Amino acid sequence: MRSRLNAIDLGLGFESRVASETGLTTGETNESALAALVEGARSGDRSAFGRLYERFAPMVHGILLARVRPADADDLTQEVFLSAMQRLKDLRDTRAFGGWIAAIARNAAVDHYRRTPPTTELPTTLGAPAAPAAEAEEALRLIHELPEAYRETLILRLVEGMTGPEIALRTGLGAGSVRVNLHRGMKLLRERMYGSSTDA
Amino acid sequence: MHDDYLWDRSGDPDPEVVRLERVLAGIRHRSAPPPFVITDAVHPRSRWTASWQFSARMAAIAALLIVAVGALLFGLRPRGAEWHVAVLGGRPTVGRVALDTRGTLAVGQWLVTDASSRAEIQVGDIGSVEVAPNSRVRLISARPGNNRIELRKGLVRAMIFAPPREFAVEAPSATAIDLGCVYTLEIGDDGTGLLHVQSGWVAFASGGRESFVPSGASAQTRPDFGPGTPYFDDADEGLRAALARVDFEPKTSPNRTAALDAVLAAARPRDGITLWHLLSRVRPDERARVFDRLAQIAPPGDGVTRDGILRGDREMLEAWWDQLGLQPLSWWRTWERPWPPGK
Repeated sequence: MRSRLNAIDLGLGFESRVASETGLTTGETNESALAALVEGARSGDRSAFGRLYERFAPMVHGILLARVRPADADDLTQEVFLSAMQRLKDLRDTRAFGGWIAAIARNAAVDHYRRTPPTTELPTTLGAPAAPAAEAEEALRLIHELPEAYRETLILRLVEGMTGPEIALRTGLGAGSVRVNLHRGMKLLRERMYGSSTDA
Repeated sequence: MHDDYLWDRSGDPDPEVVRLERVLAGIRHRSAPPPFVITDAVHPRSRWTASWQFSARMAAIAALLIVAVGALLFGLRPRGAEWHVAVLGGRPTVGRVALDTRGTLAVGQWLVTDASSRAEIQVGDIGSVEVAPNSRVRLISARPGNNRIELRKGLVRAMIFAPPREFAVEAPSATAIDLGCVYTLEIGDDGTGLLHVQSGWVAFASGGRESFVPSGASAQTRPDFGPGTPYFDDADEGLRAALARVDFEPKTSPNRTAALDAVLAAARPRDGITLWHLLSRVRPDERARVFDRLAQIAPPGDGVTRDGILRGDREMLEAWWDQLGLQPLSWWRTWERPWPPGK
């Protein structure tokens, strides 16, 4: 069964599918696949690097989006991966790649914040029905007002489309913490949107 | 919590979550990967480039020396280093200041969380430490190569991705020294503690006693005793209970012989690391029993003899360590050994 796993494509969502098909835990399949990709990227394998990017770029983008403007998040995502590739040789435990690159992303956001102090943006629509883009802007603004942990987890869930288990798997956070952050973050977000708690 | 859809999209869709997913999908990540970075390992540098870079490094070192000498001459001191703190919940305090969303932690300051607050400390650019509720953490040192905090009580989860020994957590009865890993350390009000390693390795040390704890293993610590022997979390429950008695009861305790017997009887091949540590911790008259059991579950290879181990031959102990299939000797040589000087 293990050899079959190694032969299958290692793209996003792979671990969950294989875990349900084989009964292996997600951590087991993920660790060996991830270690192979990181080792491949270290040795100059473009395909391995591409798959690492495919797998972790949404997480990195989400972490950045929780801290910087959408326009800056795209550029910074690329910077984070370039920086990670240059420092990949320093990563001692390949299984910890997710938490490691998440830390690089958070630090990149802090550096960006230092370089470019935040500016107050005027709302684009006042009193008129919100266009889709403006609706997104408003939702993002409200999420940005939440505490950092809630903000990051909610963006990974609502913007990047990752499920709670995926967030835990990619970031290295505990599933319990992710679930609590999602629940409390969504509760706070509802309060900000409607002015009262609608917690189920 | 009725949040199954929010958690993993199972259950009835939450209309508000669905609306937000739709609205926010437009800013989802879509960009292509950056051009692949060609590393030195793939394309070695030309001699000219290497020479130029060597000269540049020398120039940089000279410049740093000039600045350092200048700073000494003019009595300048570096500003106290600070680490960024992000609030994960509630209102943790740094010094007397309650934090709303973020703050900084300077050397000497305490970060305190109550029952409803949590925080995350960014450890320079080498990782982060999550501070759980009801914890007290102090920043002791924030210098390159020497990043150190004190955990007086509570729980921290450290994710550190730096060369070994650049980060440490000091607790009342032991210090957890990072060897490149993810781990939690919990300290109770009475100073007892539990280290659990989720990834990589941690050295758990105090007063010349050092435990090396790998991923999937834990080690306790107690005041007046220091760090206990590491054990894998999936070890037999009886082994773990007996190990605590061997570690933390007086060596003259009448229960000790039975406890050591229980540890040895329940040990699997995977528990070789536990028995290997015990070789340096049990009384000389107990060491032969530990040797015999370890030899059964993880037979020593060439060059490791019973007599040598019983007299404390360090080279033989290291050789046996290598044969346990853990980290190789080349890695191991970088660190201090838990084995005391030969007797």
